[in-house]
Amino acid sequence: MPEFEHIVIIGGGVGGALAHDLALRGFRVTLVEKGELLSGTTGRHHGLLHSGARYVLHDPDAARECWQENRILRRIAAQAIEPNGGLFIALDERDLSFREAFLDRCRFAGIPVDPIPVSQALAMEAALNPTLKAAVKVPDAVMDAWRLPMHFFATAKANGATIRNFTEVTALRMTGRAVTGVEVMDLRTKSTSAIAAGLVVNAAGPWAGRIAAMAGIRIPLQPSPGVMVSVQGRLTQRVINRLQPAGEGDIIVPQRGLSILGTTAWLADDSDTVSVPPDHVPRLFDLCRVLVPAVGGLKPHAVWSASRPLLQSGEAADPYRISRSFDCFDHGRRDGVEGLVTLIGGKATTMRAMAEKTADLICQKTGRLIPCRTRETLLLPYRCFWRSA
Amino acid sequence: MTARTVGFRISRYKPSHIDPPRFESYRIEVEEGMTVLDVLERIRLTLDGSLMYRHSCHHSSCGTCACLVNGVERLACNTRVLDLGTDTVRLEPLRGFERAGDLTVRMETFYRDIEPGWSYLKPSAPSAHGEADSGTELLRFEACIECGCCVSACPASRPRPDFMGPAALAAIHNQMAKNPPDADELLQLAGSGRGERWCERALACSRVCPAGVNPARLIADLRREIKKSLP
Repeated sequence: MPEFEHIVIIGGGVGGALAHDLALRGFRVTLVEKGELLSGTTGRHHGLLHSGARYVLHDPDAARECWQENRILRRIAAQAIEPNGGLFIALDERDLSFREAFLDRCRFAGIPVDPIPVSQALAMEAALNPTLKAAVKVPDAVMDAWRLPMHFFATAKANGATIRNFTEVTALRMTGRAVTGVEVMDLRTKSTSAIAAGLVVNAAGPWAGRIAAMAGIRIPLQPSPGVMVSVQGRLTQRVINRLQPAGEGDIIVPQRGLSILGTTAWLADDSDTVSVPPDHVPRLFDLCRVLVPAVGGLKPHAVWSASRPLLQSGEAADPYRISRSFDCFDHGRRDGVEGLVTLIGGKATTMRAMAEKTADLICQKTGRLIPCRTRETLLLPYRCFWRSA
Repeated sequence: MTARTVGFRISRYKPSHIDPPRFESYRIEVEEGMTVLDVLERIRLTLDGSLMYRHSCHHSSCGTCACLVNGVERLACNTRVLDLGTDTVRLEPLRGFERAGDLTVRMETFYRDIEPGWSYLKPSAPSAHGEADSGTELLRFEACIECGCCVSACPASRPRPDFMGPAALAAIHNQMAKNPPDADELLQLAGSGRGERWCERALACSRVCPAGVNPARLIADLRREIKKSLP
């Protein structure tokens, strides 16, 4: 391979973090996204910057990684984070039965948790269900799901990466069994062109299966849409979680003057057919008003869905039990198709870590030892994206 | 659940392909609760994959999906189609911005006078909602989601592209409150030849703001401060 060949990244949230990482390591990078940046999955998420506590009961690796990334993002993108913390609250005996295991596992994962008296929880958050039985403070935070990832795009662009939105990949260019670039259509002009690449990174989230199929490869991707509802009014200052294993309607994420009720999840075949099943909205209200009763008196401000790109795991049919960890496939090794790498899984909180691991793999593939610098490199403010040429 | 067939006239433009712009019509079965953004998604996924519009969060936090709905600046994501009460809904891009394609505009001029480094966080008033932990301050994002509605609606901005416009003036006001040491310099900026003096007090900015920022009031505050600072 030539020195510092051109790398094409397909797709938004993690793609932006990867473009930043690779640009810092000296690679030439072009990112293509079929719509506006972050219009697929990342931009639509509820904004929770996980402390990891949500995952300790069933996915300790994801929990540990979340806490690590939480601290890094607070440092490198401080302006895109409301750093107000979160609470896990127990509302019945069943919730209480998880409390000790929850605290133990948080501590085991290194997540600083602080059990507090119920009276203190109610003083901190007056809107909580007053019948709560226990409360634990956790270092959750809230990110701006558009502006935080735009910090990565702004910095990548300033470091020389080419970012092309409204540019849809129509085919992978193949030379024999190797991917050597992409064919794209610019939606502004409907003109088609080819971009040559030494390596193509498929980071298209729930749409990654379509890209891989262009090279005749099947990947174990399971689109898992979920519904979220926002209501007018900031009901709490902090993120409120139910102290239970992860499930539906177990979180309220406040942000600006809104509160977001999340989430539901199901498994789908197609990432694009994400209409909202009508019964999910009343279900979210019913579940979330148990956390904060005032929710019950409010109307939906917005209702939307987003498709998570989960990694298929054998027969697990419960979307809440599928790991939120991610995998990075080198299709040269896996399928005998060189020049293509696919990322699957993960979540917004860990986008930087996913990018680091993928960039490490790319360095390894291309025979270079260039260390990652994204943990300590402060990102440029997102507004710089529209300030540079 | 009620549903109704609604006509959509969407201004289409693709440089050198659909040029000059023209309206294209679509008829869509709209269910209760469906937003203008839901309709755009449906058209893109089922009728025309090349339709361009900006969107990201789908709940009025990112500010990307602003456009003209029946001639008025609104966010597509929280404008419910049936609430508009019209048989046909006309969709056009924001006014006064360079057009990239279809409903998509370029945001470079919007950010020209908003410094990247100005803080996007502000103290979150504790009020009845709760208290901060000792030794910490509760913070929240600025209410302004930088959607461009105010600039598009401003009658002074359109004929005078060098006027910094309501969003930048509101941002100056917010930054002055958060950074008193910089207040004099920021006030000079607001009082400069591209600043507050061009505001016509039409109040259109505040009328269309989907985030309740009320730029017109903030501009009036700046005007008073500028007057006071004059020798």
